[in-house]
Amino acid sequence: MAFETSDRSAGSPEMTGVRAVKLLVAGGFGVGKTTLVTAVSEIKPLRTEERLSAIGAGVDDLTGVERKTTTTVALDFGRITINSEVVLYLFGTPGQDRFWFMWKELSVGALGAVVLADTRRLEDSFGAIDFFESRGTPFIVAVNCFDGAEIYDEVEVRQALAIDDHVPVQLCDVRDRESSKRVLVRLLEYLMTVATAGAAAGTW
Amino acid sequence: MKYAGEPEPFEFEPGPLIRPFAVTRGRAGKDLHELDIITLVVAVRPEADVAALDREYGDILRMCHQRPLSIAEISAKMGLLLAAVKVLVSDLISSGHLIFRSPPPPTSGRPDIKLLQAVLDGVRNL
Repeated sequence: MAFETSDRSAGSPEMTGVRAVKLLVAGGFGVGKTTLVTAVSEIKPLRTEERLSAIGAGVDDLTGVERKTTTTVALDFGRITINSEVVLYLFGTPGQDRFWFMWKELSVGALGAVVLADTRRLEDSFGAIDFFESRGTPFIVAVNCFDGAEIYDEVEVRQALAIDDHVPVQLCDVRDRESSKRVLVRLLEYLMTVATAGAAAGTW
Repeated sequence: MKYAGEPEPFEFEPGPLIRPFAVTRGRAGKDLHELDIITLVVAVRPEADVAALDREYGDILRMCHQRPLSIAEISAKMGLLLAAVKVLVSDLISSGHLIFRSPPPPTSGRPDIKLLQAVLDGVRNL
């Protein structure tokens, strides 16, 4: 097709030279997702909202909606200008199970994800891990080392979360910009490894 | 306590739902133009044109003037739901006020290694 862009993305033919990519930061409530985004974002993190019942229903009018109970779900996100051609968005995804519909839309086209875990509540990360495993979204686990929390080593965390050996686990303190940066670097290095291995093995 | 002749009180919180879709004239919309939360849009018509449009359209065009913004950023800046912003942005694309670029669909094949390298370099240089 004559007007097809090289990456087959939808868009105006005259809009060239700039593209957006996204990474997700998932994890349980209060684990520090927004803190991590804040630590590395070039803008003060923004909050956007989506309406619970709007998703996937294909609604084209709101007739009768006044009788429904609706909820909105908030998403915090930050932005990093990578270079003149690429903008990276980081989305903190709501942790609770009932918001997983939101993860679905968010995970489409995401380069990868960080599952942020708290060793005092490791079970809060199970949902996110299961979700990304089942969707085939590559992810790493970052363990936020809260003050006063018992320090576990990587092997213990890996066992407790039952994650595959190839999934990186990184200890971090998301309040620290350098530490948060290292989490993203670790994720991107992992994504490169996965992509290179996939290309070599011809699995894509 | 109710008084005769007083309208029935609302039984729910109408705020966050009703107002955003009032600006789209009740349309929740299908996702026209395949708009994604990180679809970038830029205004391409001169500023003078904005005066003739409804306020929300004008707000969007002003914030996207000369620099691309994502649907997510527009939604956050306007305090409108993502679904409502998609409808308004779709209108502005159709009317030729905005141009846009959506991320490639996930089915487009192997991850772009050059892109990943660029993102990695960018994050390392933060």
